[in-house]
Amino acid sequence: MFIGHFTEEPWQVDNWPDEWGTGIHKVSNAEYDPKRAANLYNRYLDEKIYAEEVGFDGLMVNEHHSAPFCMNGVANVQASILARITSKVKILLLGNILPIHDDPLWLAEQLAMIDVISRGRLIPGIVRGSGGESISHNIPPHYNRERFEEAHDFLIKTWTTPGPFRWESKHYQYRYVNPWAVPYQKPHPPIWVPGTSSRETVEWCARHRYPYVMLSTQLELTREMFKVYYETAEEEGYAAGPQHMGYMFFVHVEETKARAMEVGRTLTQGVRSPFDPGVQRPIPWIMSPPGLNSRKAVALRRQMTAPDATGKTRAGALASFEDQVATRGMIVGTPEQCVEDIRYIMEYLRPGIIIFRTGDGAMDHESQMRTLKLMGEEVLPAMREIAKELDLPGPYEVDPATNEAVEALAS
Amino acid sequence: MTTTPAFTEETLDIAGTSLQLRRGGSGEPLLILHGELGVPDWLQAHELLAKHYSVYVPSLPGFGTSSFPDWLMSVRDLSTWVSWFVRAHGLSTPLNVIGFSLGGWIAAELATANSHIFSKMVLVGAGGIKPREGEIWDYFLHSAKEAFQQSFHDHESAEYLKYYGKDWTPDEADQVETNREAAIRYLWRPYMHSITLPDLLPAIATPTLLVWGRQDGIVPISSCELYKEGIPGARAAVLEECGHMPEMEKPEEFTKTVLEFLGG
Repeated sequence: MFIGHFTEEPWQVDNWPDEWGTGIHKVSNAEYDPKRAANLYNRYLDEKIYAEEVGFDGLMVNEHHSAPFCMNGVANVQASILARITSKVKILLLGNILPIHDDPLWLAEQLAMIDVISRGRLIPGIVRGSGGESISHNIPPHYNRERFEEAHDFLIKTWTTPGPFRWESKHYQYRYVNPWAVPYQKPHPPIWVPGTSSRETVEWCARHRYPYVMLSTQLELTREMFKVYYETAEEEGYAAGPQHMGYMFFVHVEETKARAMEVGRTLTQGVRSPFDPGVQRPIPWIMSPPGLNSRKAVALRRQMTAPDATGKTRAGALASFEDQVATRGMIVGTPEQCVEDIRYIMEYLRPGIIIFRTGDGAMDHESQMRTLKLMGEEVLPAMREIAKELDLPGPYEVDPATNEAVEALAS
Repeated sequence: MTTTPAFTEETLDIAGTSLQLRRGGSGEPLLILHGELGVPDWLQAHELLAKHYSVYVPSLPGFGTSSFPDWLMSVRDLSTWVSWFVRAHGLSTPLNVIGFSLGGWIAAELATANSHIFSKMVLVGAGGIKPREGEIWDYFLHSAKEAFQQSFHDHESAEYLKYYGKDWTPDEADQVETNREAAIRYLWRPYMHSITLPDLLPAIATPTLLVWGRQDGIVPISSCELYKEGIPGARAAVLEECGHMPEMEKPEEFTKTVLEFLGG
């Protein structure tokens, strides 16, 4: 079992008007106060250092663009810092948005350097990104998937083939590929891929045997997507297992249930991610510009986010805090209660990777530190026992690329 | 005034595409190149022009029900495709052309490369040139509905109400999205203009009329001035109280202006 820590790292301010919502492509960066930002960035880094100390296996970092709900515009900056200020934890990027890079050679070298400085602790996950990222960086949304696949193939070749070589594909051309830095890990750092509901991405991921991490999705839907992974793996001639399956969900732990509910609620307040339950999706034609996703995928997403007769949605887009707690979309309670709920998730989904999303929304630093402490003392050790009992190996126990046992992750 | 539309619609396997082609009228060929939002039907303007010409309205590759080959990646590719279509379909050249917005840009590109293909050229609210003042309105920061609202000055005009100012059926909404998917591939960056076209405009030898709606909310009228300065001998006609789609907003006034130029 691999247990990771994640915070979206939202902008936090007391007077964020409701109508600004997630702020994506809506709010001017005139609102960005560098002094406040300095405090927030350093706070989030302090929390990550502490998460390593209490026993998390990985620190997940992501990025979004023109997006106040995620202060990380450049995940590799934070990954670079973590490479130096942490010592044993994995640095999990979920991930670099490959299609928005016009120069993936630069990306290949950045990631190689982070892997080297961290002495082989980088997991350089990759994503396609939503429309907002394409708009901010003026990258053609209609070539998103082609660029994703080409940039992926280019990264792998650059990391595994001695240079110099020439690269000429539809979207990327280089006459001299020979970055001085190459990765620490061989044959190359492990690639993981996050997802929400794209069947095409799950299938692609399964064909590459990359661990697939579902992000804050509803349980039943998550299991359906895992099933697609298992089926695709079977078609590819290998057996997928827990080492290929990851799931991220909100967790907040306190000494009492009442306190947990009171403070946990702040996870659903403040500047929120547009991908989260309870948050109205921002401008649809920006999130999904023409050609970014297949019509089939757009129709599926529409179906999942459309409320049924009771006002509920499959993707949980209109769920309240109470709903999310009741349906285990958010795990909130005492350590014992949280472990019980997490056991249910582990039995239901059989993931080898679990990522706690914590300290998010409007939650303050003290509350995050308090919950991290309880997680480390009580929740993580209990989960590791359950994982043994249920036989849920993570990707550092069973290699997803080969299904062979690897040295257990020191924790 | 009422007219009984008389046109045919067929699907041709031509110029590397499966092509949706609407055609009506008789006489000399007149080629219509539609804009980036596609063309929803045989329009009143087409019908009026078809009284004088054999009017051809192909749905450009990716638009309407025409196929969308991967190799078409730019407006210059598209202008080459138009040249291929004209030859493959056996249209006699030189022929008259009217290009709307994206279609105007295509016609201008083609005219810079081939001075023998067009006899006269009408560019209507043409894209392709970065305006001197203002910016070309960004379709991709807005919804499809907003794009049509922005394209018309008069939201009570007949064809606006008929095609756009209403709730779309699922099929109509699907077609709008198909057209947006085509437009984004041709127009994404540099957004709706060419870096090199301004320098090539003096190569155009085709008599050219520029038609602009005074209230064009998509391509600012300062682009019209740049086209006029660039294309030798070009004339401009500005329609008052009119937006980006004069052919739909003021079909009679538009057609009259165009016919005077083509027939003169």
